[in-house]
Amino acid sequence: MDAKKIIDSISTEFPDSISNTLIDSDIRISAYVSASDVVNVCKYLKDNLQFDHLSCESVVDYIDRDELENVYHIASYIHPVVLTLKAILPRDNPEIESIVEVYWNANWYERENYELFGVKYINHPDLRHLVLPEEMLGEWPLRKDYEGFPQNTAKNLV
Amino acid sequence: MGEVNQKEKKVDLRKAQSPESIPGVMTTTSNAISDFLKKTPAQDFINWGRKNSLWFMTQPMGCCGVEMIATGCAHYDTDRFGIIPRNSPRQADVMVISGYVTKKYLPALKKLWDQMASPKWILAMGDCSISGGPFYQSYSTVQNIEEIFPIDVYIPGCPPRPEALLEGFIQLQKKIEAKKDKGSEY
Ligand code: SF4
Repeated sequence: MDAKKIIDSISTEFPDSISNTLIDSDIRISAYVSASDVVNVCKYLKDNLQFDHLSCESVVDYIDRDELENVYHIASYIHPVVLTLKAILPRDNPEIESIVEVYWNANWYERENYELFGVKYINHPDLRHLVLPEEMLGEWPLRKDYEGFPQNTAKNLV
Repeated sequence: MGEVNQKEKKVDLRKAQSPESIPGVMTTTSNAISDFLKKTPAQDFINWGRKNSLWFMTQPMGCCGVEMIATGCAHYDTDRFGIIPRNSPRQADVMVISGYVTKKYLPALKKLWDQMASPKWILAMGDCSISGGPFYQSYSTVQNIEEIFPIDVYIPGCPPRPEALLEGFIQLQKKIEAKKDKGSEY
């Protein structure tokens, strides 16, 4: 299973939802996926292309474009290729299907993304705050326009 | 009718036992005694005892907590100053804020402080607890912790060495000896 084959395989299987594919090197490839189709793509990756685990799921805030990007790093224990999947979400109401049913460990990643960026994961089994206190829900502190950051009220500087 | 009589009897008994009704007996409370003692030289003796048994709560919060535990271990022999680590807030006299206080942790820290029996003191250990330290600009660090707790001694450093923490304890002992500490009200 090499980089080129994987890219060809997913773009022929999902011609409408996979775009902007890129082969960085033999082991790093990336692609944009449309937000509505992300679960199907992940299922296909897991069942047919030996991508058996999710390494990371995160969000990037592109405030100039008024968009959030939900980024998945999906990798395999069988072949060395790491796939970076990105889904573009609108900033004012970001919603995307949860991929917990495909990769179980997405559970806490998605909870963290939810509390830090406010991305709503549809069909997530337990979508609530993970590390932050409950009162901070709704502030979305890692968004670029968060007001409480940087917080520098300390009078007691050493 | 019989019940009513019994009740009346009980009331009478209580009256008879209440100290005000015993001639020649003056009553007081432990608070009043302690307030009285604070104005006498006896307080010097009490403070001497207190300063030589500063048991601190083992409650590591950040990387400074590791230094705090190291201070409590045999190598630094804090026992010679009467400083002993305790596991329970009920048995401790000193709380060391040993790290970053996050918004989520603050309620738990307050609860621990409330569970400690008076007289009690607080040391702020490390830059994090003094001003926020490396996490100064973070969205979840509580700053100006001295507005929440009566802190007696600040120990700067990131982390302060165990010797510095020990020095902080000794400064606290000096404060207690001079009756300048915030832990007990004079
Ligand atoms: S002051 Fe430095 S060593 Fe101490 S808790 Fe903060 S970051 Fe860690």
